[in-house]
Amino acid sequence: MNILVPIKSVMDVELNIRVKDGRVVEEGINYILSKWDENAVEGALQIKEQVGAGEVTVVSVGPDRAGESLRKALAMGADKAIHVNDPAAEGSDSLGIAKILAAVARKGAYDLILTGKQAQDTDQGATGPILAALLDWPLAVNVQSIAADAPSKLTVQRLGHAGKEVLEVTLPAVLTANDSLNEPRLASLRGIMQAKKKPFEALKLADLGIAPGDVGAAGARVQVVEILPPAGRAAGKKFEGEAEEITRQVVALLADEAKIFA
Amino acid sequence: MPKVLIVAETKGGAVRKPTLEVLSKARAAGLPTAAVLIGGGVKGRADALAGQGAATVYVADDASLADFSLDRYAAAIQDAAQRAGATQIWLSVSEMTKALAPALAGRMDGAYVSDALALEIAGDELTVTRPAMATKVLQKVKFAKPGLRIVSIRSGAFDVTPAQPKAATVVDLPLPPADTRVVLKQVLQEETGEVDLGEAAMVVSVGRGVKGPEGVELVRPLAKLLGAGFGSSRAVVDSGWMPYAAQVGQTGRVVTPDVYVAIGISGAIQHLAGMSGSKLIVAVNKDPDAPIFSVADYGIVGDLFKVVPVMIAEIKKHKG
Repeated sequence: MNILVPIKSVMDVELNIRVKDGRVVEEGINYILSKWDENAVEGALQIKEQVGAGEVTVVSVGPDRAGESLRKALAMGADKAIHVNDPAAEGSDSLGIAKILAAVARKGAYDLILTGKQAQDTDQGATGPILAALLDWPLAVNVQSIAADAPSKLTVQRLGHAGKEVLEVTLPAVLTANDSLNEPRLASLRGIMQAKKKPFEALKLADLGIAPGDVGAAGARVQVVEILPPAGRAAGKKFEGEAEEITRQVVALLADEAKIFA
Repeated sequence: MPKVLIVAETKGGAVRKPTLEVLSKARAAGLPTAAVLIGGGVKGRADALAGQGAATVYVADDASLADFSLDRYAAAIQDAAQRAGATQIWLSVSEMTKALAPALAGRMDGAYVSDALALEIAGDELTVTRPAMATKVLQKVKFAKPGLRIVSIRSGAFDVTPAQPKAATVVDLPLPPADTRVVLKQVLQEETGEVDLGEAAMVVSVGRGVKGPEGVELVRPLAKLLGAGFGSSRAVVDSGWMPYAAQVGQTGRVVTPDVYVAIGISGAIQHLAGMSGSKLIVAVNKDPDAPIFSVADYGIVGDLFKVVPVMIAEIKKHKG
């Protein structure tokens, strides 16, 4: 089972994010492997272990810092890394990224593409579904469990509109990972050492047969014009004291001040 | 002049409120609009869509379409969009459209922006304001080039304009072929069928502080009393005390009710991402430093097992 895991290096959103002059302030920002992509790496490793054969290849489209996330995935146990590191790819929208990933996918012989359900910076969840459409592969998003118990089919549990769905998905397919899929393993020191010897391929757009104008900021059909701080909330009132007393107080305020029981 | 195709969603035989909100926005912006309606036994809802301004309603109605199938729904929408000559496709944000909207973008070479909180429309220009980074920032995103544009819109972003149903011009779509590559075998947990979280004016939510199913049942009457949707944090769903359909947060539903009551919820960023847009927030938590208090308009620092029964009793008095 050969699995391709697209990953993204993103700003750590757990940190204090500051906005100035229409952009996020870069100073003091850490870049990390987007957490749902980390679940995808772990998911791929577990499937490989379940099946007992195959390779896990991680791929990332991004500048130099994406290399760190790729190395982390290799240290976790991925077999190969592909880094599409081309300035002409900078500023790509989801469609652009998906086109690049589709070209990477077509260069190999993958049975499964597993990626995070959304990236921690955009929270859009577009890349996986667009990639599936470009390749004309079946898609299941927000996946909670994956079982490779039949050849060329996966039994997948996902969280959908109506509740937990059990799906049978024919390979090759694209799946996106929910964080309840697994608890990602920590890279061991041995893993980190071994990662340095694993195949790490750096590619340019030309290697994938992609014209620069098709992707990147030049080709982007969607552009972020401005970043703004979120709409603020006025400070609220906090009540401490004897439980019955303060509850009575608050309910009275909700009735008289906020008027929510009308 | 853009031509907009709106993807309608139904639930329990009625058009969902977010669909009416999206239609209302298109109408308010003066855009020519068509709608596409897919499901089993849904054709009767076409008039409600026409009443909200959809000049033509494309319908794919069959028992086999009652359950969502990404491939078949995408095929039907693509068909409708081509027949309508749509230059834009608008959808409301839901579990279904999180995959469906980008799938359409890939199939139709469309540009896609999700989770619109606001739309600026000026002729052919379209700018979307949307949350990012777990709602820590807002992004203003522009569709910079010509070509198909696909937008998903957060529920509660726009108001519903009251409208009377009107006789719809219906175009029946041929049934999309069956999808053999993704087969739904089973649904393990049905949605509870109570007040829909996404459409409720009030939501009461429980967090890890309720400690277990008994704690959940302690709070449920509060939701019932208020006619509120009953939701929870992810921790409660992961522990199996509430179904996934109840989960509010970045990895669940984003809700924007008039009133959100958070009981025993600490307010981790992933949860706040799902409810910080609520108009009024009430929080109950034992820990005075819980992050939920940073967004709560009224915060009660106390033991929810003492507070909730008092709340219920007091609210009953005020409701008379």
